[in-house]
Amino acid sequence: MQELPRPTDAELDILTVLWSRGPATVRDVHETISARRPAQYTTILKLMQIMADKGLLLRDETQRAHIYSAARPREWTQSQLAGDLLQRAFGGSARSLLMGALSARKASRKELDEMRRMLDEYEKGAK
Amino acid sequence: MTHWMHTPSAQALGLTLFHFLWEGAAIAAVLALALATLKSSRARYAAACVALAAMPLVCGMTFERVLPRQTLPAGPLPRAIAPPPLGSDSPALHRGLQASDVLPYVVPIWLTGVLLLHARTLAGWAATRRLQRNGVCAPPARWQQRLGQLAAGVRLSKPVVLLESCRVDVPLVAGYLRPVILVPLDLLSGLPAGQVEAILLHELAHIRRRDYLINLLQAVVENLLFYHPAVWWVSGVIRAEREHCCDDLAVAVQGNAFEYASALTALETRRGVAEPALAATGGDLMKRIRRLLNRPEPRHTAFTPALAAGIVILTAAAALTAWQPKPQDQPPAAQQKQGDVLPKKLIAVGADPYRKWLNEDVAYIITDEERAAFKKLQTDEEHEHFIEQFWLRRDPTPGTAENEFKEEHYRRIAYTVAHFTPASGLPGWKTDRGRVYITYGPPDEIESHPNGNAAHAFPYEQWMYKLIAGVGTNVIVEFDDPNRNGEYHMTADASAQRASVWMDTVKRGPLNRKVRALGTVADDGTVRLQVPEPVMKEVAIGQNVSVDTGSGVVAGHVFRIAPEVQNGTVGVSVTLNAPLPAGAAAKGVDAAIDIENVPDTVYVGRPVNALANSDGTIFKIEPDGKHAVRVPVHFGRASVNQIEVVTGLVPGDRVILSDMSAYANYERIELK
Repeated sequence: MQELPRPTDAELDILTVLWSRGPATVRDVHETISARRPAQYTTILKLMQIMADKGLLLRDETQRAHIYSAARPREWTQSQLAGDLLQRAFGGSARSLLMGALSARKASRKELDEMRRMLDEYEKGAK
Repeated sequence: MTHWMHTPSAQALGLTLFHFLWEGAAIAAVLALALATLKSSRARYAAACVALAAMPLVCGMTFERVLPRQTLPAGPLPRAIAPPPLGSDSPALHRGLQASDVLPYVVPIWLTGVLLLHARTLAGWAATRRLQRNGVCAPPARWQQRLGQLAAGVRLSKPVVLLESCRVDVPLVAGYLRPVILVPLDLLSGLPAGQVEAILLHELAHIRRRDYLINLLQAVVENLLFYHPAVWWVSGVIRAEREHCCDDLAVAVQGNAFEYASALTALETRRGVAEPALAATGGDLMKRIRRLLNRPEPRHTAFTPALAAGIVILTAAAALTAWQPKPQDQPPAAQQKQGDVLPKKLIAVGADPYRKWLNEDVAYIITDEERAAFKKLQTDEEHEHFIEQFWLRRDPTPGTAENEFKEEHYRRIAYTVAHFTPASGLPGWKTDRGRVYITYGPPDEIESHPNGNAAHAFPYEQWMYKLIAGVGTNVIVEFDDPNRNGEYHMTADASAQRASVWMDTVKRGPLNRKVRALGTVADDGTVRLQVPEPVMKEVAIGQNVSVDTGSGVVAGHVFRIAPEVQNGTVGVSVTLNAPLPAGAAAKGVDAAIDIENVPDTVYVGRPVNALANSDGTIFKIEPDGKHAVRVPVHFGRASVNQIEVVTGLVPGDRVILSDMSAYANYERIELK
C-alpha cells in the first residue's frame, strides 16, 4: 500500500465527515462542516481536489457531481496520528481531565467474558 | 539561589508539607471509616469530595500556624523597648527545626514537582480544547435533536453539543461552559439506538453534575499535594463514585439496568481488548456491571477499605517517625563506642563555647524556636552545623564569601563593649543601650544630655529610629542614668508606645504584687532602697526583696524602714542572703519588694495611667481584632507591671495598655 502523508487539521475534518457519512459530494461535505464552523464552499472544493491528488481521497467521476470517499479506513488515522503531539497528550493528561462512560483503562478479554456471562445469567434469571 | 529557601515563608512551607504527611493520612483514615458505613454512591462521593477539599484547607491552616509572626504585639511591653531578654527559655511553639537539615531541600523539590504536574495538566487541557475542534464533525441532525430530548429528561437546561470525533475511542465529555459530548465515529450507527441513548444519558449526567469542573479542581489538588498517596487514593474514590452516580442517574431515567449494563459491555467490547499484561481482574467497569446487576462483590474487594486504612496508618506512622527529635538518631551506645575521643569532648563541654555563643553572641537575635532546637543538640558537629546554618539563613548575599549580617552583628557587639561599658565593668552588650544597639542597629539620631536638664534630674539619652521593621516608624527609645554611673536604663516613652499599640489579655490567677525601687549598696554590704512614699504603706519589715545588681540577682529581706520621708521617698534597708558579686557594690541596684501574694484574682498588664483602687476606662479589643471600644473599669490592687480588675473586664478580654490620652474624646477606635 502506498505511503500516504499525515493529514493536516483541515484535511482531517474532511476525512472525518467522509468516515461518518460515507461517500459524499463536495456539497454534502461542505454542508456538514459549515454546520459547525463557517467554511467557504470553494475552499472545501479546492482542499478535496488536492487530497484526491495526494491519494487521501478517492474520486468517483461517473456522476455529474463527483463523489468522494476516504482512501483509507478510519483505523488508519489512529496509527498515523500515533506520533501526533495532541494524540500523545490525549493519551495521558488530557484523558484524566475528560469524563466518559468508560475509564481510560481497557478491559481484558477475561473481564469482557466475565461481564457477558453475568449479563447472560441475569437475562436467564429475569425470564 | 539558596537564600530564598531560608526565608521564613519557605521554611514554613517546608514544615507545612511535612505536617501534611500525617494530616493527609488522618483525613484519609477518617474517609476510610466513613466509606465503611456509607452505602449510597452520592453520600460516598460527597464524603470523598469533602475529604479532598479538606486537604489543601488543612495545609493552609498549618501554614498560617507555622509562619513566624513579624509583628506580634503580644505581652505587656511593646517590642520597641523589649528585645528578647537574656537566656529566655520560652518553649518552642513547634518542633520544626529538628528537620532543619532536610527542610531547605523540601520546598524546591516540591515546587519543581508542582510546576511539572501543572504544566502537564495545562498541556492536557489545551489538548482537550483542540480535541473539541479538530477531527470532529456534526452528527446527523436527528441525533442532536434526540440529545436535546434526553437532556430535558435529566432536567439539564444548558445547551450540549454532540460531535463525532475520529480521535476518541469512547464517548467523552469536555468543557464546562459550553459542554461537548464527543463520540467515536461509528458509535451512533454501530450500536442499537437504546444503547446509544443509555450511554448519552451517562454523559449528560456528568454535565448536569458539573463533573468536568470538579475534576479540574481535583487535578489542581492532586498536583499540589502530589507526594502524598492519600491524595491519590481519595481522588480515585471520587472518580469511581462519580461513575456510580452517573450510572444511577442514567438507569433512573431509562429505567432498565440490564439494558444499560449491556450498553456499557457492548461499548467496551467495540473498543478492543487490552494487552493481557496490562490487565488485571476486578477493574472499574467490572465493578460497575456487578453493581448494576446487583451481583455480590468478590471477597477481596470487600477487603479494600481495610487495606486502604492499613496503608493510611502506615503512612501516619512513617510521618510520626520522621518527626521524632533528632537526638534519638544517636543512641547513647554509639557515643560510648568512641571512647578514645571522649576526653576531648569533655574538655569541650567544660569550656562550653556553645553556651557562650547562645547566651552572649546571639542572645538578642536568636529566635525562641532556634534556641530550643540548639539546646537539644548534642555533638560538636551538630552545634557547628547549626551555627553555620544560623548565619547562612541570615546572609543577605548567599553565595558570596562575606556574610554581611554576621560581620555587622559582631561589629555592633564590639561597638557596645567599647562605648556602653559602665564603670562597674558590666559588658557593654549587656546594658540596655547595648541590647537596643545590637538588636536594632545604630539609631538615626541620638540626643545626648550627659548632665540632664530642667525636666530630667539624671543624665539621659534619646535615640530615634526612623524605621524599625515590625515595630514602627519614628521610634524613640529613651535611656536615663539615675545613678550617674554610666549605666543607662531604658525608660518607657510615649513615642515608642504610639508606634506600636501595646496590648494584653486579662488573666485569672495568682498575682505576686511587687514594689519596684532603686537604691545603692552601703559600705556594710546592705542595700538602701529609695521607695516612693505612696507605696510605702504596704512595705513591711521581713518582706522578701530581689536585688538586681546588673550582673546577677540576689535575694534579701527588708530589715529597717526609715521613719521620715525625704524628697518623696522613704529609705528602706535590705539585708542580703548572699554576698554581692565583686564589683557590684560601687553602683546602683534595681530591686523589687514582694509586698503581697494574692492567690487568685483577675488582673491585666498595668496601663500607663492606671492608679490602684480607682475608676478608669480602658479600650477593649472587639472580637474582630480591628476595633476597640472604651469600657469603664474599676481597678483594684496594683503591682509594678500588673493591676487587679475588680469590675468591667473578664479573663480572656484583650485590652490596649498604651497611653490613650490622645483619644480621650473617642468611644470607639479602629486599629490598623
